[in-house]
Amino acid sequence: MTVKQFFKSSAFKCILVLTCIALIAGGVLAILNDVLYVSDEERTQQAIKKIYGQAVEYQEMTVSEEKAVNEYGTIDKVYKLSDGNYLFKSTGTEGYKGGTVTLWIVADFEGDTFKGLDKVKVAGNEKQTLMSSFKSSFTDFYTNNDDLLLEGYYFDKVASEGNIQNVTSGATRSSNAFNRAVNCTLYFIRNDMEVAR
Amino acid sequence: MKGNKFKGIAVDGLLRNNPTLRLVLGTCPTLALSTTAMNGIGMGLAVTFILICSNTLISLLRKVIPNAVRIPSFVLIIATFVTVVRMVMEKFIPDLYDSLGVYLPLIVVNCVILGRAEAFASKNPVLDSAADGLFTGLGFTWALTLLGVIREVLGSGSIFGVELWSFRIEFFTSAAGAFFTYGVMIALFNALFAKIDNVKKRKEFYAAYPDAIQPEKLETKTEEVK
Repeated sequence: MTVKQFFKSSAFKCILVLTCIALIAGGVLAILNDVLYVSDEERTQQAIKKIYGQAVEYQEMTVSEEKAVNEYGTIDKVYKLSDGNYLFKSTGTEGYKGGTVTLWIVADFEGDTFKGLDKVKVAGNEKQTLMSSFKSSFTDFYTNNDDLLLEGYYFDKVASEGNIQNVTSGATRSSNAFNRAVNCTLYFIRNDMEVAR
Repeated sequence: MKGNKFKGIAVDGLLRNNPTLRLVLGTCPTLALSTTAMNGIGMGLAVTFILICSNTLISLLRKVIPNAVRIPSFVLIIATFVTVVRMVMEKFIPDLYDSLGVYLPLIVVNCVILGRAEAFASKNPVLDSAADGLFTGLGFTWALTLLGVIREVLGSGSIFGVELWSFRIEFFTSAAGAFFTYGVMIALFNALFAKIDNVKKRKEFYAAYPDAIQPEKLETKTEEVK
């Protein structure tokens, strides 16, 4: 096949059409990516808005790798909010099928003293199949036990000494990761957070 | 004539060839995302937007795209619109973006969209293709939303996120519950359509053969003969 024949062939037309579509699509997407880019700051602001219903100013706190991981899971982010409270993003392990649950948790602080949990919202999960069964009554339970939390209690699927029971029937292993995400934050506040001691 | 054509496209997309309940296309997102009504509406509207845009563009380019590369071209066009929808959703509706999860990018290979591109948009003019995209998308949306409403009410005791009662049957939030509800909906919808089709066929038959004796009149006729 000569060069001239190639340029007249249907193969060349196919390559040309596909290349043109790919180039135009790529160009459009590149422009839109610039216009619609969501920065980390915006993501955090979206999460705060989801929890508070309005935008609140915040300051990100640095957490050392050593303190970020504890027996319940991982502290992903810590923010100090303009109203004095702290916002935590923490991931609880050992959920259903070994999955995880990530939560946004607002801890209530009066000055440097921990006063309880204010809000708990789901930020994401891995391998959890029954997330829709966790209703507001389940998450509200975390914020309605401040007296016990100040005494050092944690949450578990069964009630025992030092543990308050919080469980959703039929999803016990999923609620395990839920509880552990909250416990991870509680542990961090009680043991690793300088300001809360 | 034009009005009748659009009416036909509308009835096809919404009911007669409903992608979810009659053609059983796009089953994967249907089963996975119908746990709540809001997810159903969100996914449905995203698919509708992509269907309208991709059908329109594919119809515009139908004489330019060579037959040998039509499927890769369609996938490229659909993928572009899916990415645009993802970007817009992530920026402006992050909650819905999070809840649709992996099923949003998977729209690229959704049979409904690829099916309409191949079966309709690549063979018909732009306006007809856009209308087909709109009504097929709306057909997908209402079916997904109805499935979501049923599963959310029975499985989670709420509707559009508003809690109705504490009673719930967990089965409906599970994958098995999704298959069961979807199956029952398909059966009911097809039974209804079979009935409507029968009535229509009978009407057409007796219009063509006015002298033919109708079964309900047969009894009185036999009594008269006796």
